[in-house]
Amino acid sequence: MLLKGVFLVETREKVVKPGIGEKTKRWFRGFGKQWQLQTMILPGVIFMIIFNFIPIYGLSLAFKQYSVTDTIGGAQWIGLDNFKAIMADKYFWESVWNTVGISAIKLTVEFFLPIILAVMIYEIPWAPFKKIVQTFTYLPHFLSWIILGGMLINWLSTNGLINEVLKFIGINAHGNYLLDAGKYWNIAAWSDVWKEAGWGTILYLATMAGIDPTYYEAAEMDGASKIRQIWSITIPEITNIIALNLILSVSGLFNSNLDQTLVLMNSQNQPKAEVINSYVYRVGLTQGDFSYATAVGLGVSIISVILLIITNTATKKLNDNQSVL
Amino acid sequence: MFLMKLNWHKKLAGLGVVALAAVALTACGGGSSNSSSSKGSSNMPKAPYKVPTASTPAWKKDTRKNQKLTWYVNADWWNKSFGKDMVTKQIKKDLNVDIKFVTGDDTKLNTYFASGSMPDLITIFDPNSKVARTANQWAYSLQDLSKAYDPAFMKYAAKDTLNWYKLSDGKTYGYPSYSNTAADYKSGDIAPRDAFVIRKDVLAAIGDQDFTTPEGFVKGMQAIKEKFPKLIPFGFNDFSGANSSLENVVQDMLGVPITKAGKFYDRDLDPDYLKWLEAFREVHADGNISDDSFTDDSNAFNEKINAGKYATMMLGSDVNHGTNLQTWMSKDKNKAYEAIEGISSTEGRERTLSQAGISGFTITYVSNKTKNPSKATQVLEYLLSDRGQMLTNYGIKGETYTQDANGEVKWTAKAAKVQSEDASAWQNQYRIGEFFLMSHDKWKALNKDSYVQAVWQMQKWGQKYLTPQFDIENIAPDPGTQESRAYSAIQTNWSTTMVSLIRAKDKAEFDSVLNKYKQFQKDNNIDQINKTRNEKIKENQKKLGEN
Repeated sequence: MLLKGVFLVETREKVVKPGIGEKTKRWFRGFGKQWQLQTMILPGVIFMIIFNFIPIYGLSLAFKQYSVTDTIGGAQWIGLDNFKAIMADKYFWESVWNTVGISAIKLTVEFFLPIILAVMIYEIPWAPFKKIVQTFTYLPHFLSWIILGGMLINWLSTNGLINEVLKFIGINAHGNYLLDAGKYWNIAAWSDVWKEAGWGTILYLATMAGIDPTYYEAAEMDGASKIRQIWSITIPEITNIIALNLILSVSGLFNSNLDQTLVLMNSQNQPKAEVINSYVYRVGLTQGDFSYATAVGLGVSIISVILLIITNTATKKLNDNQSVL
Repeated sequence: MFLMKLNWHKKLAGLGVVALAAVALTACGGGSSNSSSSKGSSNMPKAPYKVPTASTPAWKKDTRKNQKLTWYVNADWWNKSFGKDMVTKQIKKDLNVDIKFVTGDDTKLNTYFASGSMPDLITIFDPNSKVARTANQWAYSLQDLSKAYDPAFMKYAAKDTLNWYKLSDGKTYGYPSYSNTAADYKSGDIAPRDAFVIRKDVLAAIGDQDFTTPEGFVKGMQAIKEKFPKLIPFGFNDFSGANSSLENVVQDMLGVPITKAGKFYDRDLDPDYLKWLEAFREVHADGNISDDSFTDDSNAFNEKINAGKYATMMLGSDVNHGTNLQTWMSKDKNKAYEAIEGISSTEGRERTLSQAGISGFTITYVSNKTKNPSKATQVLEYLLSDRGQMLTNYGIKGETYTQDANGEVKWTAKAAKVQSEDASAWQNQYRIGEFFLMSHDKWKALNKDSYVQAVWQMQKWGQKYLTPQFDIENIAPDPGTQESRAYSAIQTNWSTTMVSLIRAKDKAEFDSVLNKYKQFQKDNNIDQINKTRNEKIKENQKKLGEN
């Protein structure tokens, strides 16, 4: 994308509806002038072709009956059989429902919380304290789910941290929370919020740092309260980033957290804990049913692209017909 | 950012072209190599030495120096070094061979098949996979290899194991490690691994309790709770990836049959077994099973063994928890866990404890693309021979072990010291017991110290109950089929059901959960799955000569 962007900056001014030949010539001239810059992105482009585009070929597996001894090209075509089987698979639908359920909680909480948190951090007047708060909220992000999951299992167990605290303040303990399937969605969503909310503030804080302080001075002189200032200056200034995050979160509705699920899932909460990713992992890798797993993955990707386009259109409407992507 | 919007569709088209070109390239690559696969075993190269009779191993006659082989192991954790430790240094010296190990997962294995260039030796783990079932297309048969290069191989290979891995053409292509035959089961050289264990001090304190009947079991646990309120009365293995020790292991304790009239028997729904699940439910309802046992991972379970938290355990695979049992035992001998008679059939059936079956653990093949099948065969023969087994299990005589006239093996003082004090030196400098691609369990019996002291009594307790279950090995439907998906759905449902049965509040809930599972089986085509299982059982019986 950068490729186009860079020399468009230079050529844009002179454009007066040129013919196609003229346009191509200019393209090459522009390219020649900046070839050093252009080669810099070459490794990135090659990386993308090798790891993002060539593997697209593997999607043909979704329509084939494939096993380890076959080549991708050599496997037998079976049309839409895999997709038909998916439609009839109870566990697939269960995993879709759980993915959407958990994502929906995450979307509402994990979308708003970083904004609120970012504003709060931004408003902290004393710099050292600001740094401490930031460090503490970022910290869980850097721990892997394997470690964090182990901690959670411990905390949520019969004699774990949470029950001990409840006991201490005189509330009847609950038992092992992870065995209670009905609580799983919330456990998954809120533990993820705890892990990622701090990290999610970074983009907002970076944008807020660029807000002209004179706006606030002027607002103060006009007698605007703190809340008023946040509402009328801070928030409008970060709308673009909010919109961007919204698009990314909504299109990620079907993305689920494999690491988290594999650590926290057990036989009792499985009906509520199995998400699309863990389902694909189980079917594809554990059971060696590659074609079927590919078909599931392809279906989910298509839905995600549709979601992406819908939200992009919606935010464009909210954003003076301009896409933030 | 908005600048990029201009002409985006053109750019997308360009990328599309690139992607298409890439597709075409890879497609060509795959196609061309595929056609060159499958080479008959008739055109095997001639042995570059005079092939000896079965009484002399061929490596003694082969004078070639500096031979090289590539050995692929389908597991990322396999230690790839060769010739640096005592065991592999000796192999290198005896056979004049340098082995380059390559490791990977199924994707890497697939790349080998797709590219057509294969390593000399290939080790896989799943005898039910398509790779194993189509071995005649990409590997040399052991019969042909042995005849052409090293007749001694057949002397060391177990006949039952060879029969077990025979493909439809009557030849065997791969040889497993840790394959136990029916004769091995009878010999007493293989130790059982499961037992109902109790802490000695607990047993002494609770008076006369009968853990062999469901009613006695429930009462016994109550008695433990009274005397030892801080302990968890009843524990069992963790559930990570499997159904703990509450499924197969309990069924083996009760001697639930594996087949009935030669047909598949659903052991999970055996009335005797269900009676015991109901007993476990009562124990749980009394608060004598901790809910945490259902969420603990193997580390958490081992920590609890380490600290003696469980008063009793249905312990599966005691050897795997040996170090933890030993740690606990070393704290106070009088509190150590010991096996007692518990959890027995209500129908008077004898226990049928199981062990690793005839399928074994790894399976190793000689690829038919190898340029040096003679050396590859020698390597397998050497490792499988008595000399190779002693070397990989015990190291070098005089240096790491001594053997008396009865054949009993003892570690030398130096080796014993390294084993107990420096685990990493034991692994990396000696590599004893680690180079196991052709190792078999019965050799371990030569040395009492093969297993930690804490499990000796448990192993002795179960010895007389060992019974093979070869008939039902690898009988799951083939992966990738609709049946296999239904089967896995049923398995998943059963895992949930089993724990729900134990956690059920009362008998009524227990029954309703069980009925739901039975209905689920029916809805997921269990009859068809059982038909497949029956066919596979029949095949197995044929291979075992039972039919």
